[in-house]
Amino acid sequence: MTKAAIIIGASHGGVQAAASLRQGGWDGAVRLFSAEDALPYHRPPLSKAFLAGEKTEDQILLRGEAFYRDSDIDFRRGEPVLRLDAAQRTIETGTGNYGYDKLILATGSRARRLPVDGANLAGIVTLRSLHDARLIRPALEKAGSVVIVGGGFIGLEIASTAAKAGKTTTVVEAQDRLLARALPAAMSDFLRDYHRMKGVTFHFGASVAAFEGEAGRARAVTLADGQRIAADLIVVGVGGEANIDLASQAGLEIDAGGVRVDDKGRTSNADIYAIGDVAAAHNPHAGARLRLESVQNAVDQARMAAADICGAATPAAPVPWFWTDQYDLKVQMAGLSRAGTTRLMRGDPDDGAFTLLELDGDRLVAAHSINRAADHMAARKLIAAGTPLAIDEARDATIALAKAVVRADA
Amino acid sequence: MFGEGAGLELDIGGMDEKVKIVFQSLDGDRRIEVAAPAGTSVMEAAIMNNVGGIEAECGGACVCATCHVYCDLVAPDSLPEQQIDEDDMLDMTSAERRPASRLSCQIKLCRELDGAVFILPEAQV
Repeated sequence: MTKAAIIIGASHGGVQAAASLRQGGWDGAVRLFSAEDALPYHRPPLSKAFLAGEKTEDQILLRGEAFYRDSDIDFRRGEPVLRLDAAQRTIETGTGNYGYDKLILATGSRARRLPVDGANLAGIVTLRSLHDARLIRPALEKAGSVVIVGGGFIGLEIASTAAKAGKTTTVVEAQDRLLARALPAAMSDFLRDYHRMKGVTFHFGASVAAFEGEAGRARAVTLADGQRIAADLIVVGVGGEANIDLASQAGLEIDAGGVRVDDKGRTSNADIYAIGDVAAAHNPHAGARLRLESVQNAVDQARMAAADICGAATPAAPVPWFWTDQYDLKVQMAGLSRAGTTRLMRGDPDDGAFTLLELDGDRLVAAHSINRAADHMAARKLIAAGTPLAIDEARDATIALAKAVVRADA
Repeated sequence: MFGEGAGLELDIGGMDEKVKIVFQSLDGDRRIEVAAPAGTSVMEAAIMNNVGGIEAECGGACVCATCHVYCDLVAPDSLPEQQIDEDDMLDMTSAERRPASRLSCQIKLCRELDGAVFILPEAQV
């Protein structure tokens, strides 16, 4: 009898898992389930090039339609999985039951909602899926003013897209600076100033008290301090919650807001793996168990799970990396920011190109780059290898970061 | 600042106009001809047509170096000028970087590229 692998969720992680299973020689069935009705697509452009109308849906596909057929992947779109029975090793959708030998949960995360008055008014949106982006694109085009609640990555990308399109753009952020968990203050300040220069208004340390509407449509955001900000379109970007419903239902162990997995992506059930946004793995770079919402994490965990299922050696834990494009800034992060590191500035923020290094002793822990792709790529290698840095050279932006290492003969 | 303006001097025509290009394996044994609308990138043309050998993990943001191609057989003046970030990323390709190495996400299809042959490296990851 031929074996079957089932993958629930067809975004960056799920699609990579299907591809990696085939590349790794899995000769059983591969069934890939998507609740969405579209061919799997890249999510990062949704808040940038797609939203700005610079890219079509065809241009953001993860793989062309032929890929699924040619790779013998049974891709089932618009077929959400309703039940997972780990004892029987079956799943149930609206149209059928399917047995599995190995199952990969790649169910991702959903946008957190704000539990305040008026949250259900029309004109208040979140952006996660192509469906969301299809709705927001024309709404943004028509809007004169946009309020973005949440100064995270998605919020800032939308702010950048909106400001570039000439909209009156306001960002409301609960913390006293941008991206407080992910970035050191120097980076937050640089991004804030850049957005301001492009015309964006910020409210820091501000929380939303209510959304105000008129005939069922949102017209303004009211802050806790009573300020009222009028808006034609309100985008809520206050983080994500893992889609753990199926995992909980199947009795899998839940931890740190996600499905607990080991270093090979295995859940508390030996035949079930979890990857991407939904998986909570111990991260050696953070020294803690956490969920990471990034393309790199989804893709690397997919490769890891597929390798384990195919009986291959699994690769070493990769260095986390992330990027965000805002205006003409390419912001790239390698490693994970942590408290108590030594901060070293490489280059001058006034030039619009620099890298902030985070060091533990002479070892690189994280690097945050603005328009310095070479630094970012070097940092990924240096962090992975744990190479001691020559501090004075690392500070000198005219010396390649890859060369700023302590030589064995020194 | 870099990242914008690549290839603007080339005539990309209308989006309804299709440009034919060829992907060829390193040993020359495998040739796949595809057609894609002008204005899409060489990477996007490969993905839409399931060419294989192009990963494009980042989807064209120029941050992953997994859509590497060799352009030895492409007329140099039909290619957009290489920007700094692409040059930096090309140092990170899995297969060897050569003088004619480019990232296919940075090359937009235009009339001048009709019939162009892009060589696929041995590996992207």
